[in-house]
Amino acid sequence: MTTAAVAEGPAVIVSPMGQLDLFITERGGRSVASRQFHQGALRILRPHYLDESGQVCYVVVNPGGAYLGADLFVLDVEVGDGADLLLTTQSATKVYRTPGSFAEQRMTLRLGEGARLELLPDQLIAYREASYRQNTSITVRPSSSLVMAEVVTPGWSPDGASFRYEELRLRNEIRVEGGRCPEPTLLALDNLLIRPPLNDVTGMGFMEGFSHLGSLLVVDARVDQALADELHALTAGHDAYTGISLTRTVSGTTGLVLRSLSNSTGELHRILGACTALLRERWHGQEPLDLRKY
Amino acid sequence: MPNIATNPLPGYQLALQQLTDSALPTGAFAHSLGFETYIDRGLVRDEESFGVWLGAFISQPLTYSDGLAIRFLYEGWAVGHLDALLSAQLLPRQVREASIKMGTRLIEIGSEVFPSAELELYRELVASGRAAGHQPLAFAVVARSLGVPLAEALAAYLFAAVTSLTQNAVRAIPLGQNAGQRLLRDASDGVAAAVVQIGHLAPDDFGAVSPGLEISQMRHERQRARMFMS
Repeated sequence: MTTAAVAEGPAVIVSPMGQLDLFITERGGRSVASRQFHQGALRILRPHYLDESGQVCYVVVNPGGAYLGADLFVLDVEVGDGADLLLTTQSATKVYRTPGSFAEQRMTLRLGEGARLELLPDQLIAYREASYRQNTSITVRPSSSLVMAEVVTPGWSPDGASFRYEELRLRNEIRVEGGRCPEPTLLALDNLLIRPPLNDVTGMGFMEGFSHLGSLLVVDARVDQALADELHALTAGHDAYTGISLTRTVSGTTGLVLRSLSNSTGELHRILGACTALLRERWHGQEPLDLRKY
Repeated sequence: MPNIATNPLPGYQLALQQLTDSALPTGAFAHSLGFETYIDRGLVRDEESFGVWLGAFISQPLTYSDGLAIRFLYEGWAVGHLDALLSAQLLPRQVREASIKMGTRLIEIGSEVFPSAELELYRELVASGRAAGHQPLAFAVVARSLGVPLAEALAAYLFAAVTSLTQNAVRAIPLGQNAGQRLLRDASDGVAAAVVQIGHLAPDDFGAVSPGLEISQMRHERQRARMFMS
């Protein structure tokens, strides 16, 4: 199955197992793909318009259904000036055994002036002996609006124990370009590392006795302390341990980071869903998202 | 008996002791860097439980963030670039502000007591708004200008951070003074292991943390009764 990585001499040349390029532009009040390309084990379904906002929804499909050792998946998405994209997945991303290696996803996202991206993939499930690295590099303008949410869950192993994966690395770099900073300036470096074999992940200072992780990143000029307090109040009634804080401010735009630990995927989806629903309604007059309806 | 005359002190020895003394007025007494949240939840309540938290703090942020920033500065990375990395990576607002508050104090003190061209450059970057002024970088710039070898600088910085946090825990939990000293002795193994680990990390590892500590640092913003600013 795993044929993606080929070592040739000192440099390791990896041809992607799957590749997806997507360029969304705004045309007469509706966002459309003006360029799309895919090859290998990544595809996208035909676009949907879930409401009258003009936001286009694309669903990424991994027909192979799983990430295996040495698999590399490369996604390159640009949302042009004034365009609006909701990007999601058809099903959970499952990372299976990656003996002596790791599966990797590299994603580059670029948002233009007034562009909006909601990145709401299904959960990531890491099974026994899985190692996975996800590197996401995002460039926004001060007038862009970014919302990305993610849930990471441990898959069950045959002996019923969770946390049998080897290592998860989820690294997001967000830069702001334009405005007062002509050079892209780092707004947030969000670098999560969970290594069950090396650390007591269930213990204090690591996963605090929880097995599932949810995270939400929002970058928008309208992010402020009042919004952070409001989202924090929304999370209070849930069975999860949640923290929210604001990043530094660059060229007038600020990031909001939410992290939440729980023992249930459903609970994390409810928390992240409540937060994204508030932002959709407040900033865009849209209904809460229910992708399963479509 | 060792011959004192043939084993002179390294020139930087006393300067390093002054720089890492807990009496250095950077305001470290005002920061728990998140352990107060665990006290509030009843999870840090005695010598043993604080020791568990301290171990996690040494092996995560002190290793992957502070320690790695110090190493990269010693390896010649530009101080302004590292400063921007820390401002972006310290996601919990109070922890970011604590690093900047203690860092700018250290730059001020260092400029009077241990002036150097490198420190003056960092001070100017901060004064002109091009850098924030983070604690590990202020320390690393001074230590490097004094000729302190990297391993010694890392051990001294990490142990000074551990000492401040332990003194704060002794007041806050509270613990006996002897318990504080036992904690420091136990933490020295973790500090020594961290110094080795820092040498093995790659640039992509910078700032890598597990979620628990960060969530607790974030939740401190909303804690009602608190002794500490972070």
